[in-house]
Amino acid sequence: MKPKLSRFAIPYVIWMALFVVAPIVLVVVYAFSNAEGGFTMENFSRMGTYAVVFGRSFKLALIATFICLVIGYPVSYMMSKEGEKFQRAAMVLIMLPMWINFLLRTYSWMSILENNGLLNQIFQKIGLISLYNGLTGAELSYFPMMNTQGAVVLGMVYNYLPFMILPIYSVIVKLDGSLVEAARDLGADGVNVFRRVIFPLSLPGVLSGITMVFVPSVSTFAISKMLGGGTELLLGDLIEQQFLGGAYNPQLGAAISLVMMVIVVVCMVVMNRFGEGEEQAVML
Amino acid sequence: MSKELIRLRDLCMAYDDELVLDHLNLYINDKEFLTLLGPSGCGKTTTLRIIGGFATPGSGDVLFDGVRINDVPPYKRQINTVFQKYALFPHLNVFENVAFGLRMQRRPDPSDPKRKSKLPEEEIRQRVLEMLEAVSLKGFENRRTDALSGGQQQRVAIARALVNRPKVLLLDEPLGALDLKLRKDMQIELKRIQQQVGITFIYVTHDQEEALTMSDTIVVMDQGSIQQIGTPEDIYNEPKNAFVADFIGESNIIDGVMIRDRLVQMYGRQFPCLDGGFGENEPVDVVIRPEDIDIVPVEQGQLTGTVTGVTFKGMQYDIIVDFRGFKWLIQTTDHSPVGARIGIKIDPDGIHVMKKSRYSGLYGDYSSFSDEYDELDTVEPEEGGDET
Amino acid sequence: MKRQNRAGSRVLMALVFLFLYAPILLLIVFSFNRGNSNTVWMGFSLDWYKSLFQNRLIMRSVYTTLLVSLLATAIATVAGTFAAIGFYSLRRQARTALNTVNSIPMMNADIVTGVAMCLFFVAFFSFWSSFAVWFNGIQSLVVLPERLTLGFGTLLIAHVTFNIPYVILSVGPKLRQMDKNLVDAAQDLGCTWMQAFWKVILPEIKPGIASGALTAFTMSVDDFIISYFTAGSSSSTLAMTIYGMTKKRVTPEINAVSTLLFVTVLALLVIVNLREARAERKGERRAASRKLAQLLDTPKGRVLRRAAAGALAASFLIAVVLLTGATNAQPMVNVCSWGEYIDEDLITQFEEETGIIVNYQTAESNEALYSLLKSGAGDYDVIVPSDYMISQLIEEDMLAELDFSQIPNYALISPRFKGLTYDPQERYSVPYAWGTVGIIYNETMVNEPITSWSALFDSQYAGNVLMFRNSRDAMATALSYLGYSLNTTSEAELREAFQLLKDAKNRGVYQSFVMDEIFQKLEGGNAAIGAYYAGDYLTMLENNEDLRFVVPEEGSNWFMDAMCVLKEAPHKDEAMAWINFIASTEANLKNMDYLWYGSPNQEALEQYPAYYEELYEEELGQEAYDIIAAPQEVLDRCEAYLVLPLETRKLYNDLWTELGI
Repeated sequence: MKPKLSRFAIPYVIWMALFVVAPIVLVVVYAFSNAEGGFTMENFSRMGTYAVVFGRSFKLALIATFICLVIGYPVSYMMSKEGEKFQRAAMVLIMLPMWINFLLRTYSWMSILENNGLLNQIFQKIGLISLYNGLTGAELSYFPMMNTQGAVVLGMVYNYLPFMILPIYSVIVKLDGSLVEAARDLGADGVNVFRRVIFPLSLPGVLSGITMVFVPSVSTFAISKMLGGGTELLLGDLIEQQFLGGAYNPQLGAAISLVMMVIVVVCMVVMNRFGEGEEQAVML
Repeated sequence: MSKELIRLRDLCMAYDDELVLDHLNLYINDKEFLTLLGPSGCGKTTTLRIIGGFATPGSGDVLFDGVRINDVPPYKRQINTVFQKYALFPHLNVFENVAFGLRMQRRPDPSDPKRKSKLPEEEIRQRVLEMLEAVSLKGFENRRTDALSGGQQQRVAIARALVNRPKVLLLDEPLGALDLKLRKDMQIELKRIQQQVGITFIYVTHDQEEALTMSDTIVVMDQGSIQQIGTPEDIYNEPKNAFVADFIGESNIIDGVMIRDRLVQMYGRQFPCLDGGFGENEPVDVVIRPEDIDIVPVEQGQLTGTVTGVTFKGMQYDIIVDFRGFKWLIQTTDHSPVGARIGIKIDPDGIHVMKKSRYSGLYGDYSSFSDEYDELDTVEPEEGGDET
Repeated sequence: MKRQNRAGSRVLMALVFLFLYAPILLLIVFSFNRGNSNTVWMGFSLDWYKSLFQNRLIMRSVYTTLLVSLLATAIATVAGTFAAIGFYSLRRQARTALNTVNSIPMMNADIVTGVAMCLFFVAFFSFWSSFAVWFNGIQSLVVLPERLTLGFGTLLIAHVTFNIPYVILSVGPKLRQMDKNLVDAAQDLGCTWMQAFWKVILPEIKPGIASGALTAFTMSVDDFIISYFTAGSSSSTLAMTIYGMTKKRVTPEINAVSTLLFVTVLALLVIVNLREARAERKGERRAASRKLAQLLDTPKGRVLRRAAAGALAASFLIAVVLLTGATNAQPMVNVCSWGEYIDEDLITQFEEETGIIVNYQTAESNEALYSLLKSGAGDYDVIVPSDYMISQLIEEDMLAELDFSQIPNYALISPRFKGLTYDPQERYSVPYAWGTVGIIYNETMVNEPITSWSALFDSQYAGNVLMFRNSRDAMATALSYLGYSLNTTSEAELREAFQLLKDAKNRGVYQSFVMDEIFQKLEGGNAAIGAYYAGDYLTMLENNEDLRFVVPEEGSNWFMDAMCVLKEAPHKDEAMAWINFIASTEANLKNMDYLWYGSPNQEALEQYPAYYEELYEEELGQEAYDIIAAPQEVLDRCEAYLVLPLETRKLYNDLWTELGI
C-alpha cells in the first residue's frame, strides 16, 4: 500500500520549527529585553531616533526597486519575444554573474566609480570634465560618484536586477499566445494588448520581482558600506553595528530588525492584496 | 455461464463524511465485459479503484477467486488498469512504457528456484512487440508518447496493461478524451481485444451508448448504490426505476396509476400494457421510449398534443410535443410542423411500468430539452479521487 | 517597423548585459595585471594565478565555500524533495500554512535571518553547555562536549535552511503538474511504492530537482550575509574573506580565483547546453544509456553496478569525513587580529615549525572585536586588542591568565612596555606592537602642510576627509582638538566633541568613515586627508609618494596592542606557542618591517635599522624610524586610552550610533 506521504513533511517541519521559527521568536524576545534579560520597551522607545535611517533605507530601496522594474520589465518582455536559443543563453547570462560573489562585483564598481577610478579617467581622457568645467565654471578634477547615495542605488540595482528580470520573464514566457490573439481579435491595438492583457497577467511576476529586489535592498549593509562610504547609515548597517560592529547592543539590533521586518511584511501584504484585486479585476 | 471471479461484499466508503459507496454488493464473472455506468460522483470510479487496490474500502470485502484481497497492494494483484488520460510515463518511449510491467516482474529462476530472476530481455522484447502489433502500433516502439495521437496513446495504455497478462483489466473512462468518430472505432476495437485475449474487462463510463455497445453486463450506479444490473437489453427495455430509464437512452416518464395488471392509467386514460404484479390503483412511473410512439391523426390518437419543437437528426426527427403542459419527446421519421395538433398511439409493449422510487418526478420531462444538454453531459468532470 | 523594434530591443538588452558584465570583465582583465592595481594596467602576467595557489587563506576559504555549498546543496536537495512530496500530499490548509513558513527564509531580509540564527545558535550553545555539565555529572559513560561553537556545522545548518525552500519551490510545481495516476499506474504494473518513486516520480520531477539544486548551489556560493553571522571564526567562506579584504585592499589573487570559478562555470554550462542540444537532435544519448542499462542489468553488471554505487557513496563519505576531520584533527589556533597586521610568512613559518594550523582572522576595530566576542560569533584563542580594550576585557573576566612558563620570549619585551596601566600585574597580555595616531595627507591636495586636528573639521576640505569608523578613535580626534583628555568621562565634553563631528559631517566634510579602506583611498588619491595609525602611513607611502604624516600639535593617542588569550579558548597550549613565537626577536623584526609599527621587543627595536639596511641595501631614514617608533618627546604629547566606565561606554555607543544617522 502507499505510505502516508504526508509523513515525509515531518522532518522538515521539525527543521523549520527549529531553525526558522525559533530564531525569529528569539529575535522578538531579544527586542523586548534589556541587557540583563528583563522585559523592557526601551528598545522601541528609542526607535524614533532612527527614523531618519528608516526613511533613508526605504527611500533608496524604493528608488532601486523602481529602476530595476523600469529596466527589468522591458528586458524580460523583449527576452520572451526572442527565439528559444537566445532565451536560454540570456537566462544563463543573467544567472552567471551570481557565481562571482556580489562583494567582489561591488568592489569592482568601487574601482570604476572612485574619484580616480576608471570612469573618471575616461572622462578626463575624452575631455568631459574640462568641458563641464568650461560650461559651468566649476573646477572639478573628477566627478564625485563614490560615496554618494547614487552609488549605493547603483550597487543595489546592479546586484538585484536579475531578481527582477527572472520572475517577470518566467511569468511572461508562460503567457498563452492565444490570449494576445484573442485581445487583438476583440479590437485591442498593441498598446492596449499590453496594458489590458499582458501587463495585468504578468503582475504576479512583477510583484515577486519587487519583493525580491526591495527586501535585500532595504536591508543591505555591505553595499552601503562599500559604495556609500559609511557616512549615511542604512538599516542593514545599523543592525550589523549592533551585533558585530562598533556598538554592541543586540537587544536594540533585534528591535530594529523586528520593526523592519514588520514594516516589510505589512508592505508585502498590502501589495499582494492590491495585486490580487487587480487579478480578479482582470478575471472579471 | 462462466465462474465468478470477483465479489464485492457490502462495500462502504466515505470521503470526509460523505458516503461514496453505500453497502455495495456485486459479483463479476470470468471473461465478462462488465460496465459500471453512472453520472459523475456515483461511486463507479471508487469501485474500480478498490478493485485495482488504489483505495481501501471503509468496510466490506473484496474477494478475488474467493480470496479476500482487501490488503493486497496493487502490484501484487493480477489486475491491470487503463487509466483515465492513460497515465503514460512521459519519460519513457512507447516500447519502454509497454515493457515497464514486464521489467518489474520476477519469477523463480529455473536454475535456482530460491532466487527470483527478471524476465529475459529477449522475452520482454518479443512480448512487447507482439502486444504492440495486437494494438496496431507496430513500428512505433521508439516514439515518444507525447508525440502520439490520442487514439495511439490509448492503445499504448491498453498494450501496457495487457502485456502483463492480467486476469482482469480495469478501464477508467478510457475513451473520454477521444473525439466521437475515434471513440466509436475504439469501442469496437476494445470489444475485439477483449474477445481475443479472453479476460474480464471492467469498464467505467458515464456514456450510456458506450455501455450498451460493448458490455455483457451493465451495472447502473447512482449515489453510491447499484440501481440495476443486467444485460444491455434488460437495462434498456426494463429499467427498474426512473433514474435508470432516464440515464439509459431517452425516456418520457409519466405519473400513472396501475388500475390492475396489464392496465395503466395516464392523463385519465387507460392504456393496455404488458406489466403486472402491482397493487391495485398503485401509483407508478410509466416509461415510454420516444421511438415507441406513433404519430397518428388527431382523431385516431390515444392522446392529443401540440408540436412545440422539431429537430432534424438525420435518421429521424426529434419532436417535442406538449401534452397538457408535460412535454414528451417523440422520435419519428415523419415530419410534423411546429404548432400542429397531433395524436399519438402507443403499443402495449412500448409501455414500461415501474414502481415509484426516490427518483420519481425528477426525470422524463422535456420542457427544457435542448441539444446542448446532451453535449454538456459528455464532458464529465474528474471524479473525486482525493488521495489522502 | 517590426525589424526596427527588434533591433531596438537587442540594443537595450546588450546595454543591460554590458552593465551586468562590465565589472566582471574588469575583474577578469585585472587578474592578469602585472601590478596590484585594479585601475591601472601595468602589463600582462600570470603572477596572481601563481600566488593564488600559495595563498592559503584564499585557498582555504575557496575550499570551505565549495564544501559548504556542495554539502548544503546535496542535503537540501534530498530533504527538500522529500519535504515537497510531503507538502504535496497534505491537505490544502496545512499546506498553505507550511508553505508560508517555508517562504520565510526566502522573503526575510538576509540580515534578519543571519542575526536570528546567530542568536539562536548562541542561545542553544549556552543551554547545551549547562545540559552537558549536568549530564556529564550524573553519568560517566558518555562524555558530552561542554562547549559548542559557531563553525562549519552552524554554517552548514544555515545554508541548508535557506537552500531547502528553493528546492521545494521548484519541485512542488513539478509534482502538481504530474498526472496523479502515474504512481497508480506504476503500482498497477508491479512496482512497490518505493519502486514507483524511483522509476516514475523521480524521473518526472527530475527537472525540478535539478533546477532547485542549481538555485540552491548558486545561492550558497553567492551568500555572504548569513554566512557572516553564522560561520563563527573557525571557518570562513570566500565571501567572508573578500569582505575582510574589501576593507583594505583586495589582492588581485581574488580576481584570479573569481576568474577561475567564472570560467569553470561558464565552461560547464556551455558543455551541458551543447550536449543537451546534440542529444535532442539525435536521441543517441537515450540509446547509449539504454545500452548501458542493459549491460548493467546482467548479473555481472548488477555486481558491477552495486560496486560502483558503493564505491561512489563510500568515497563521498570518506571525502566528507576527511575534509571535515582534517581541519579538526590537526592542532590549530584561532587568531583574531587587525587587517594587514602580520607578515604572513610568519604564519607559514609557525605552521611548518610546530604543525599547528593557524586560522587567522581579522576584526575591524576594538569595538567590533568586542561585539564579535560578546555575540558569540567570534570564537578565538588569541586576540590582539588595544590597551583600553584589554582592561575592559579583564574587567569583564573574559581573558585567561597566561602561562608565562610557555612564553620564555616574554623576557625579550622592553621593560618600558611591561606592566602598563591596562595590565599592571603582567598577567594577561604580551605586547604585540605600538604606535601613534596622526593625520595622513596628500601633499598635492592640500594648500599648506597640516599640523593640527582642525583639518579634520575644516570645510575647505569638504568631501576629501576620511574619518575613523570606530567610536573611540573618532571621538579622540575631536577631544584632542578641543584640548580635552582622551579619557574624559564628562558628558558635556563628550557631547561637545560629538557635536564637532556631527557638524563636520553635516557640512559634508567627510567623504566616508573608514577603517582599512583608507589604504586604497589615500593611495589612489581618492581623498586628501585622513586620520590613521603611523605605521600604516609608511605602508601607504610605498604606493603613493605624495603622502605625509603628522602627529598634530594638540597631541594624540599612543596605543599598545597586545596578545591575549580568551578564557574560553579551546586551544590554550597552541595559543601560548603562538604568542611565544610572535614575541621572538626574529618575528618582531619581520613584523616591524612589514607593519612599520613599533615593536615592543627591545632587541628588535634596536636592531631594526641594521636589519632594514641589510634587507633593502639602503639606509633607513631617521624620519621614518621616528614614525615607526615615535621618540619620547612625541609620546609625551600623547595619551594612552584607558578603559572607560560603563556609563561612558554606553554614551559612546549611543553617540556613535547617532553620528551614523
